[in-house]
Amino acid sequence: MNDALSTAPASNAITTWTAAMEEGELWEGDMSGVVVEGTNVLLMNVDGQVRAYRNRCPHQEWALDEGDFEDGKLTCSRHLWEFDALTGKGVNPTDCALVSFPAKVENGTIWVSVP
Amino acid sequence: MPVSRCVIVGGGAAASAAAASLRGGGFDGSVVIISAEDVAPYARPPLSKDFLTGEQVATELPLHPDEWYAANDVELRLSTRADSIDPDGHTVVLRGGERVGYDRLLLATGGAPRRLAGVVSDRVLYLRDLADAEVLAKRMVPGEPLVVLGGGFIGCEVAASARKLGVEVTVLEMADVPLQRVLGAEVGAVVGDIHRDQGVTLRTGEMVESVQTSGDGVLVSTDHGTLECATLLVAVGLTPSTALVAGTGISIDGNSGGIAVDQYCQTSIPDIYAAGDVAAHDHPGYGRRIRVEHHDNALKQGAAAARNMLGAQEPYADLHWFWSDQYHHNLQLVGRTEGCDQTVLRGSLAERSFSVFSLVEGRIRAVFAFDRGMDIIGGRRLIRAETPVTAEQLRDESVNLKRLATPGRSGT
Repeated sequence: MNDALSTAPASNAITTWTAAMEEGELWEGDMSGVVVEGTNVLLMNVDGQVRAYRNRCPHQEWALDEGDFEDGKLTCSRHLWEFDALTGKGVNPTDCALVSFPAKVENGTIWVSVP
Repeated sequence: MPVSRCVIVGGGAAASAAAASLRGGGFDGSVVIISAEDVAPYARPPLSKDFLTGEQVATELPLHPDEWYAANDVELRLSTRADSIDPDGHTVVLRGGERVGYDRLLLATGGAPRRLAGVVSDRVLYLRDLADAEVLAKRMVPGEPLVVLGGGFIGCEVAASARKLGVEVTVLEMADVPLQRVLGAEVGAVVGDIHRDQGVTLRTGEMVESVQTSGDGVLVSTDHGTLECATLLVAVGLTPSTALVAGTGISIDGNSGGIAVDQYCQTSIPDIYAAGDVAAHDHPGYGRRIRVEHHDNALKQGAAAARNMLGAQEPYADLHWFWSDQYHHNLQLVGRTEGCDQTVLRGSLAERSFSVFSLVEGRIRAVFAFDRGMDIIGGRRLIRAETPVTAEQLRDESVNLKRLATPGRSGT
């Protein structure tokens, strides 16, 4: 399932976008923890595509920006749970997923919509 | 002959991962799990930690949701004991006499806590399964002093949980520091200090001589004196559960007492495999049989055994890795420290942020990290790549370990 579609707002709702970071500050293969509207958000630049996730491992709520991002895979440093950086789906173990937020790049800025 | 029926005896992490691996590998024959427990396979690691403190409840522990078994056509037979195996007849005999045929059999029977001989009391507890943890959790109440016999991982984690709950706790350990056998004296001393700082009474170098129980307490006598408590948790290790293989001719590993398996997790009898806490596995990286009592190994070895049951012929060669959480600290060890000729400290013991690298001939074989998961992530890469490193590089915290392991990139 496409994460952007699955979290798309109902047709009559208005998505509220918040500027999270300058596009140029997040290089390809980099990730960064930011706070957007009081929510801890992990921004990732996966081969040029920007993704935003809740910055907490679904296992034990550890901050994911303290982990490792390499070869399209995000690893939590606390118990080495691994996630596909592009989809947020669990790689090891497989029956989990990151919480994904809509993200877009416009006019050189990364915008995120948090609930 | 094609494999059409796989039977797994045991209901823990290895069994659960094996069933998932069989289905994940496209096996469409029948899969049966025979488990003596009355609940579906669940994660044991929280039993000594968040489950005791109430931060996690039983419904959060299953390794697969209940509906997974039906959805994947895995027959889960709970509260069912396997009594014996007839290898010639390719049959498992259940208590009550029912015979279950198999083409491939996986033994994932785990182990049972070592018990104190001659002591039976509802105040003397052990911790292995969910039922044990439920009983222990009820006894962890402020005002009811707890004594933990054994300063290993289970003992240390239960002591940490007790302190979180405000329970008075004493840990009795024979060695000079907790976790000495696994982590060595220096790191064990740091762990000991952390427990003392949190209010644990830690008594090391002390041998228990007798345990007397009465209706209102337990009296523990040691070579240093006596100690009274409301509850005694005995956490002095695990005995692998191998009763099932008695009389089958399946080889037992003399050192560890586990079921001896080859690199492919196969026992000495074809078509019978073993994985998890019970298996003494011939790890290609270590040149001898090793039995590991950790969750990650059970998951990965169970999955690897299942692939080999279907004919993959892949040696299970994953690096051993485990973690322990105590208070807000996270301890991890990857690889094995035995036979190493050099250790290097990165960071500071005094500041309680450090890693210890164990090397053989200038190559890292193991990394222990205290609140430094990133050193495990970089370190395991260096272990796998067998990259030559110097003590200076490892000590220098400006050196990025991950980059050191990546050929063609600068180490700084």
